[in-house]
Amino acid sequence: MKLVLDQLIPYSLKDKIGRSGSAIWNQTISFSQSKYVKVEAPSGTGKTTLTHLLYRVRSDYTGSIKYDQLDLKSSNDNELASLRQNHLSIVFQDLRLFPDLSARENIEVKRLLTPNFSSQDQIDEMAEAIGVSSILEQKIRFCSYGEQQRIAIIRALMQPFDWIILDEPFSHLDQKNIQHSVQLIDAACKKRNAGMIIMGLNKDDYFQYQKELVL
Amino acid sequence: MLQQLLKKLIKNSAGQTKFVMALIGLSVAVVLILSAVQLQSNYYELLNSKNNQDSIANFLVVNKALTDQNVGASSLSELQLADLKKQPFIESIGTLTASRYKASIQSNSELFPFYTDIAFESVPEEFIDVNTKEWYWDEHSNYLPIIVPNQFLDFYNFQYSFSQNLPQLTPQVVKMVSFKVTIQGTGQSISMNGRVVGFSNRISSMLVPQSFMNWANGKFVASSTNQQPSRVIIRTKDPGNPALSNYLKKEGLITDADKTRFSKYRQIVDFVVNISGITGLLMLSFALLIFSLFIQLTIASCKDEIALLILLGNAPKSLGKFLMKRFFTANIWIVLLGIVFISIAQYSLYSWLIDKQMMLSPFISIYTLAAAILLLLVIAWMNYSTIQKYIRLQQATK
Repeated sequence: MKLVLDQLIPYSLKDKIGRSGSAIWNQTISFSQSKYVKVEAPSGTGKTTLTHLLYRVRSDYTGSIKYDQLDLKSSNDNELASLRQNHLSIVFQDLRLFPDLSARENIEVKRLLTPNFSSQDQIDEMAEAIGVSSILEQKIRFCSYGEQQRIAIIRALMQPFDWIILDEPFSHLDQKNIQHSVQLIDAACKKRNAGMIIMGLNKDDYFQYQKELVL
Repeated sequence: MLQQLLKKLIKNSAGQTKFVMALIGLSVAVVLILSAVQLQSNYYELLNSKNNQDSIANFLVVNKALTDQNVGASSLSELQLADLKKQPFIESIGTLTASRYKASIQSNSELFPFYTDIAFESVPEEFIDVNTKEWYWDEHSNYLPIIVPNQFLDFYNFQYSFSQNLPQLTPQVVKMVSFKVTIQGTGQSISMNGRVVGFSNRISSMLVPQSFMNWANGKFVASSTNQQPSRVIIRTKDPGNPALSNYLKKEGLITDADKTRFSKYRQIVDFVVNISGITGLLMLSFALLIFSLFIQLTIASCKDEIALLILLGNAPKSLGKFLMKRFFTANIWIVLLGIVFISIAQYSLYSWLIDKQMMLSPFISIYTLAAAILLLLVIAWMNYSTIQKYIRLQQATK
């Protein structure tokens, strides 16, 4: 699935963008599938805004975002639901977990949308791999932010996808957990032949990026 | 499994009490509306069904009201008959032909002597409530069949027989008695045997077959005599129809007051049914309002959860389905319980009325069922539109 951004400008950044150059805003860029893209974005340049636009959490922008033929702005409820179930996965910076559900239930809510794609056992395997198996039955509100971050990652990997968007996914993880998480995500992308757009404040070498852009 | 998680996420945070209140309101409304429909259909059934085809109720003998002005000119004109026929509340109309000749009956038996002058009437067979093979006459018949009003026999048995010290007679005995009928007119006279073949509740005259009446009126009556009918019998679906009694009044016609009294009952029943129906509809609209507010409140109190569920890839439609199942299931139960309640009430009414010689169906009518289905559809539509609207709203605010 090819992702094309064309003259994309969010309303909230209209004034800012005119003054400073950007590799993404107000440009025409296309990302072909299975490429790893790093978006380096200093604070205030609209990193989270971009995440939200790409996942259509909001649609207050000019220009267009297209996944293959699907124009995100004019997509309807069903197209959007299908895109999010089968083609597009995400780890939000603010995680967006259900605080009153257990860690496992939070993952299940996502997994059960495409129940044939991944099994319950896979939850346990992934949790084991990134060290959260002990908190799986705990309510999310009682987990640390780092634990929540890893649960959000597992949740994102439960579904089929062509693109995964990661908004500072490792901000609260130590080096060891980052490494394990990176392996998990990398394997998941390779398995699906999927691409990745990862947002970060600084340069990093978590993955082997094919493209590095400054927002 | 996903359903269970959704159940956990979308709780009745709007409060169980409000939910129960909304359900109770809806139940009362449903019961009121259904009982209004059922009452109305019971009333029609009592009037129209075969079992209740109370001969008194559906057939009315109509004649002009005699006043000082029309004494001697009480016959109904062709015009009046034609107009009567045109009225929508009249199903069919039959003229009562009166005998224009002198007639008398006399006992054949020494043991039980009687003699009396008499007059006959005839009416098309379809208006007669006595079903007997003996109701036939032609010139070769051995005897003349006669139908007598039930009232006559009652009068004889409970008044006349006492005063004259005569034995009481059962209908069977009367039917066995043969007597002599003598007819005179235009200088001729003829005698024949006659026999009572049945008793009528519907028409209060001595009835003879139409064929006999035509024959006798032709033979014993001068052709110049006025043969216009003075009385007609009408068949109507609903003698309680106020339009009928108004029409009769307007045309100066009268019928048995007892029968049109139904029109008063009818107005009272209509009134009660309307009150119950209107109250039901009012309650329904309030209950629907409360219910839709309740749905709004539930959705609003779970708006974060719903928004996140949609963000994770749930289609708003499937969430709507989940919510629909949640709320509408209760509504289905309400309507089902309403139907059960009305059914029980109907059965009790049936058992109670059967002792009073009134036949009612032991089951609820098809109209009540249809009304229940209609109610369900209305409630479903209300649920569906509220849910869709507010789910969409949660999305839009994000």
